[in-house]
Amino acid sequence: MRPRIELGEVTVHNIRQLKRLNTVVFPVSYNDKFYKDVLQAGELARLAYYNDVVVGGVCCRIDTTEGQRRLYIMTLGCLAPYRRCGIGTVMLKHVLNYVEKDGNFDALYLHVQINNDSAIAFYQKFGFNIVETKTSYYKRIEPADAHVLQKNLVKGGSKGSKAVVG
Amino acid sequence: MTPNPVTVKSLPPKENALFKRILKCYEQKLYKNGLKFAKQILSNPQFADHAETLAMKGLILNALGRREEAYEYVRRGLRNDLKSHTCWHVYGLLQRSERKYDEAIKCYRNALKWDSQNIQILRELSIVQIHTRDLVGYRDTRHQLFKLKPGQRASWIGFAIAYHLMKDYEMAFKILDALRNTMNQDNQQMQQGRKDATFEYERSELLLYQNMILEESGDILGAKKHLLDHNKEIIDRVAFNETIARYHIHLEEYVQAETIYRKLIQSNQENKAYYDGLTRSLRIEDEPEEKLKLFNELKAQYPRAALVKRLPLDFTEEAQFTDLLRPYVISALEKGAPTLFTDLQPLYKNPSKVVIIQNLVEGFVTQLEKNSKFSEADQERAPASGLLWAYYYLAKHYDQVNNTKTALQCVNKAIDHTPTLIELLTCKAKIYKHSGDIAAAVENMNDAREMDTADRYLNSKCAKYMMRADRVSEATEILGKFTREGTSPMDNLNEMQCMWFQTECARTYQRMGMWGEALKKCLEVDRHFHEIIEDQYDFHSYCLRKMTLRSYIKLLRLEDILHSHPFYFKAAKVAIDVYIYLHDNPLKNQASDEQNNQENLSPSELKKLKNKERKAKKRAELEQQAAAAAAEKKNLHQKQKQSNEDGESHHPDSAEELVPDKLAATTEPLQQAMKFLEPLLSLAAHNIETHILAYEIYSRKDKPLLMLRSIRRALKVDPNNDTVQRLLVKFQETMSTRVKTLPEPLPEFMKQELEKVYTFKKVN
Repeated sequence: MRPRIELGEVTVHNIRQLKRLNTVVFPVSYNDKFYKDVLQAGELARLAYYNDVVVGGVCCRIDTTEGQRRLYIMTLGCLAPYRRCGIGTVMLKHVLNYVEKDGNFDALYLHVQINNDSAIAFYQKFGFNIVETKTSYYKRIEPADAHVLQKNLVKGGSKGSKAVVG
Repeated sequence: MTPNPVTVKSLPPKENALFKRILKCYEQKLYKNGLKFAKQILSNPQFADHAETLAMKGLILNALGRREEAYEYVRRGLRNDLKSHTCWHVYGLLQRSERKYDEAIKCYRNALKWDSQNIQILRELSIVQIHTRDLVGYRDTRHQLFKLKPGQRASWIGFAIAYHLMKDYEMAFKILDALRNTMNQDNQQMQQGRKDATFEYERSELLLYQNMILEESGDILGAKKHLLDHNKEIIDRVAFNETIARYHIHLEEYVQAETIYRKLIQSNQENKAYYDGLTRSLRIEDEPEEKLKLFNELKAQYPRAALVKRLPLDFTEEAQFTDLLRPYVISALEKGAPTLFTDLQPLYKNPSKVVIIQNLVEGFVTQLEKNSKFSEADQERAPASGLLWAYYYLAKHYDQVNNTKTALQCVNKAIDHTPTLIELLTCKAKIYKHSGDIAAAVENMNDAREMDTADRYLNSKCAKYMMRADRVSEATEILGKFTREGTSPMDNLNEMQCMWFQTECARTYQRMGMWGEALKKCLEVDRHFHEIIEDQYDFHSYCLRKMTLRSYIKLLRLEDILHSHPFYFKAAKVAIDVYIYLHDNPLKNQASDEQNNQENLSPSELKKLKNKERKAKKRAELEQQAAAAAAEKKNLHQKQKQSNEDGESHHPDSAEELVPDKLAATTEPLQQAMKFLEPLLSLAAHNIETHILAYEIYSRKDKPLLMLRSIRRALKVDPNNDTVQRLLVKFQETMSTRVKTLPEPLPEFMKQELEKVYTFKKVN
């Protein structure tokens, strides 16, 4: 029997499930402001369900640093027993879909601990590349260094276009 | 005051017209206008004492909620003309609106003395009679209506129902048959060839009701023939098939029964009664092998039917059971159904099955932990959630067999596996509750609740657990997150008849020694039952009109046994226990007792006692503050309500408010307790608690014979019950002295009866 994988909204009613998920999955802890912002993130925050059980979640935000409009993936992960079932793919595809529909993003990017080989391989499958490595990015975990993985996009996509400069 | 001759009956034309307008205004609820017209008549000194006008004014005032004035006027009117059927009628209406049904019946009867053919009065009387189950009166009144209005269908039906309820099935059937024939004739004349859905429905219901009467009379053969003769006219096919199948079984026509049951299963594969019927018609109820063959056949026919897979687990054993259980459990674990345990729970009565289940699921866990498969030979891997639900099942399993330690281990393994699943937290809470650690239970249940604050079930469970921990105000606050805004949760839940909450409250207050509050909750539940019985009032006329006759009869019968419901039992038990306690320890004495005891304590003990008392007092104070705040809010709300609705309908039972202190200070606790005991005696005799409670009350009322009766009934239910044994010993001790003061021939009788009880005990 094929397991059903579905995405669901994050609401003020179920946000604790996201908190518990992130606490277990990530070595970094996120503060109350993080979750306050998540509640305003709309489509950029999703819970992932495996046969109606919450097993994963993704939270992104729009980042306008460095003169670009990029989508920053803050957290994307799922519980250990449920990895390699296609859940990460569903979540990432949701995000990629979002940026394509929007059409106005320069790139997506995220940080990964340098020893997280499976994560690096996962994102590379979808066209992400290591563009930088930040030393001592993390304060309280080892290794403290992080790669920046980025996927550049062609602006204009399905919707929105820059005025053609003659 | 001598009645003015004009008050007897006739008014001159102008006043008569005004009077008629008063009647119209009342019917149309234009009360202010009605009062105006009444004033016009009454301000004329000639007619100031006109009985009927006074009565009507009273009736209108009653509708406006001015009850005291209403009674005044109606009584005045009645005094001025005791022979006015209108005045008696109005008085009856007044009593009826207060739910004083016996009084109302008297008034109606008086009204009928002066106008024996008044249809309206007869109709209203009949409704009150059936409502109070005055079956003889109902039949007589219906008879009258039948004679006076044979053209109306409802007259016939009411008449038939009266006979049915008095078990004169033949008469009831004949009346309905005659009615049906006239209905058919009427309809043929009216509808030439056109399909009339209402008519067909009503005819079908009438036939099925007639059939019900036949069945109850015991004439199954006749009932069967009746049903078959009218097959084409019956629209409710499910009822038709279920009934005819029942008849076939009764008449031992097993082949026909089998056909019908197979047909029924085809239309609905999830009704257990159909499978029971099928096995009965094949005469294989006691042959598991044959039954298994049958179910395998049905499984092939209906591969997606759930019950077909579940039922064989009940009657198979050992290897066969295991073979069937395996795929059943695997399917549930794959799907991730949390209900698997509840589904299999009935099987736990059989110890050998418990062992099989445990070994099976433990086996799955081992295999899944090893290589994510249910069994070594499987090609595909199980879904990742399979192990989770297996742990979950085991947690509940070990909890069921009272192995708390292992249960907690399993649920914790599950939580490590999938910490986001809320069911795991509720499961853990339940395990703690069963083991007695209520604080841990509350903690876990609250954790669960916070994971999904939109889930009212979690909210309610959390509140319930809090109450088990004696945290009533917290619990109420939690529930308040889902109750209506503007009212206190306690009030809203009372309005919504939320009896699970009220019975829990009652128990909690009892545990905390807050007797008045506990009694208040019990009485609130009692009132709900009263309300539900009153709710049937409108249906007496409605169902006759709509021809939903079978449902109507079932409703009457349900209302008759309403107090057998477990909620009533829970409330009654608390109430009786509290009243007995208050009888033994009246509140005034409690204070002086405490003082006496304190004189004998050492200073440190005294200090400890004072601390404890202070804490208990503080808790009680907080509760009372919360209750007072709630009462304040309620008063505020009521004042608002009153200012909003002026002239709207009043509640006949703007019942006396329940004040906890007054309730606890009652001077006749045993009498109050008896009120709660009575429904239990008639409707809950199968429950040994009923008789234990009865014994306790009777012993304090010094009624040896009733005490003996209670013990005998209790022993019949369960000869080995410890409490009853203790009561028996107490009873004997009491009797050994008491028996001397009993009037003849009781002493000898008692001796004999006690001996009988002992032989009964020895035998059992």
